[in-house]
Amino acid sequence: MEFYPLLLLEVLMSKIDLNNISHTYNPNDPEPTYALNPFSMTWENGKRYAILGPSGCGKTTMLNIVSGLVRPSAGSILFDDKDVTDLKTEERNIAQVFQFPVIYNTMTVFENLAFPLLCRDFEKEKINERVNSVAETLNLQSFLKSPARKLTADQKQLISLGRGLVREDVAAVLMDEPLTVIDPDLKFRLRRKLKEINEEFKTTLVYVTHDQNEAMTFADNIIVMSDGEVVQAGTPKELFERPNTTFVGYFIGSPAMNLFETEASSNDCVKINGTLIKTNTNLSKLKDKKIKLGIRSEFINLAEDQKDNLLSVEVDKVEDLGNYKLLTAKMGELTIKSKINRETEVPSSDVKLHIPADKCCVYENEILI
Amino acid sequence: MGKLYKFLKYFFITFWAVFVVAPFLWALTTSFKDFNSVNGGATYIPWVDFEPKLEGWRVLIKSPANGGVDIIEPYFNSLFVTCTASLISIVLGTLSAYALSRFTFKAGFVKNNDITFFFISQRIMPPIVLSIPFFLFLGAISLLDSLIGLIVVYIVLLMPIAVWIMVDFFNKVPREIDETALIDGCNPYQAFFKVVLPNSIPGLIVAGMFCIIFGWIDFFFAFILTFTEVQLLPVKIVALNSSITPWWSLSASALVSVAPLIIVAFIVERYLSKGNLSGAIK
Repeated sequence: MEFYPLLLLEVLMSKIDLNNISHTYNPNDPEPTYALNPFSMTWENGKRYAILGPSGCGKTTMLNIVSGLVRPSAGSILFDDKDVTDLKTEERNIAQVFQFPVIYNTMTVFENLAFPLLCRDFEKEKINERVNSVAETLNLQSFLKSPARKLTADQKQLISLGRGLVREDVAAVLMDEPLTVIDPDLKFRLRRKLKEINEEFKTTLVYVTHDQNEAMTFADNIIVMSDGEVVQAGTPKELFERPNTTFVGYFIGSPAMNLFETEASSNDCVKINGTLIKTNTNLSKLKDKKIKLGIRSEFINLAEDQKDNLLSVEVDKVEDLGNYKLLTAKMGELTIKSKINRETEVPSSDVKLHIPADKCCVYENEILI
Repeated sequence: MGKLYKFLKYFFITFWAVFVVAPFLWALTTSFKDFNSVNGGATYIPWVDFEPKLEGWRVLIKSPANGGVDIIEPYFNSLFVTCTASLISIVLGTLSAYALSRFTFKAGFVKNNDITFFFISQRIMPPIVLSIPFFLFLGAISLLDSLIGLIVVYIVLLMPIAVWIMVDFFNKVPREIDETALIDGCNPYQAFFKVVLPNSIPGLIVAGMFCIIFGWIDFFFAFILTFTEVQLLPVKIVALNSSITPWWSLSASALVSVAPLIIVAFIVERYLSKGNLSGAIK
């Protein structure tokens, strides 16, 4: 009896490998357009992943490939080193929740939640136990006997979510913008609930969203996509501090990353409006090339006693956003945004801003050097 | 304003009810009249205006030898042919509609929509065009003047209706339902029978209703493809007519023949009023 939980854990372990996956919806065309360009990735067991990107960038295609609704044009998918590329959806151990609630109208809430277990011939007691536990987690106990179609949209979405969570042995629960129809307050609580579930049961959660805030607060790994391309995958901190491309810098963070067109003036300095700014990047090969300097508004501060890397700017406006002040400054044509401490007094005319060298990102052709 | 509106509303409803019910009342009273009462002008109150007689109804069940027409056998023939043909049409039509709605077919330039249109085109064509081919075809396989032959023909006529209604219906059932069922562990057949089909009951009811109505009222093919062995109700009712129009027995037979449709309407109405059919009927 002692080792039973251990055994269970072994069953739960599931790593998902995506090897050189790519997909096109018109494979017979001489020049097919790719919804997903080739990429490889490993999803560790028990982690929370967010796939982030604007509409039509291939997020849903990626999910459908993992769940088996779409067969990738090339590449292979491994669950725990077992090739499942050719396995049908129903043979894969995966749960997927769609953007809009999908419920079985003709069944009660209980039957809806029990359906995935019934399809897999679980025993009656086990089904009762699992359904009740999931219903408790999602606050659906009082509705178990009512017909599912009578519920409100967000309760219906909870049922969809519940059907994903009711199986303990799923390799991953894939969620395609599942909280779109749910009202903001409940949205917040549900996201936290999902985190708890993930921590308690070690279920891998994959969460598709176009809301960077949602992604940053939910996931411990974020995959940023754009135009069928995986642009960057990493922890929220990595994405925030060292965006791989200007797109990521622009897409993640609010306000977007400050980007200045510039050129290298020495091995580690760039010139912005005549002022030299030192960076920690080796620029020796980039002489006379068009590059961009990116820096987060969070890292720019009013100069106190620093001597180097200062920009003299003209204050344009200061907005008090509650927990911080957003300073918009002008330097000739350039606009610089800086998030500063709420308590700091900002002079109304000219100020000096300090640009920390270690936080500077240099981009050539929109790609981080 | 409110009172006037209410008055007009009830006035219109009452007017419409009278308009709809009056023919039935006329047929009902006429069926209990004899030759003299019918020729005595339109009267409606039995025992006061006329002496009710059962002759009109008796004719329907008396054997021809006793001067009757005996519609009992044609009645059950019609019920059997309509129900069987409708059932088969619904089953085949629903399956093909699901395929047309969910899978992509391609044969040269022919695609899903063309196939769906092919089905519907069977109903666009005037029925008379089909009469000679059907006659020759049934003759060739020795099914003229038989129940099976009629069922085959009626399936051809009813299945397009079922396909048409069900394709439209399945297109409105979100694909995600099928996909969710697959993810929940059904194979494609289970997904169809356990999830999609139960969700499509309103559509099935509407399609079934149309099939039954069109099957039941058909006179044309029943008239052309049968002679003496098998007779269907519409043909038999027309045969009631003679040089002296027997209004009493015609009225009685009209009432009996319309009865099944009224029963079907009552059953379907229960689903209609639940609002379940909102997606199925536009």
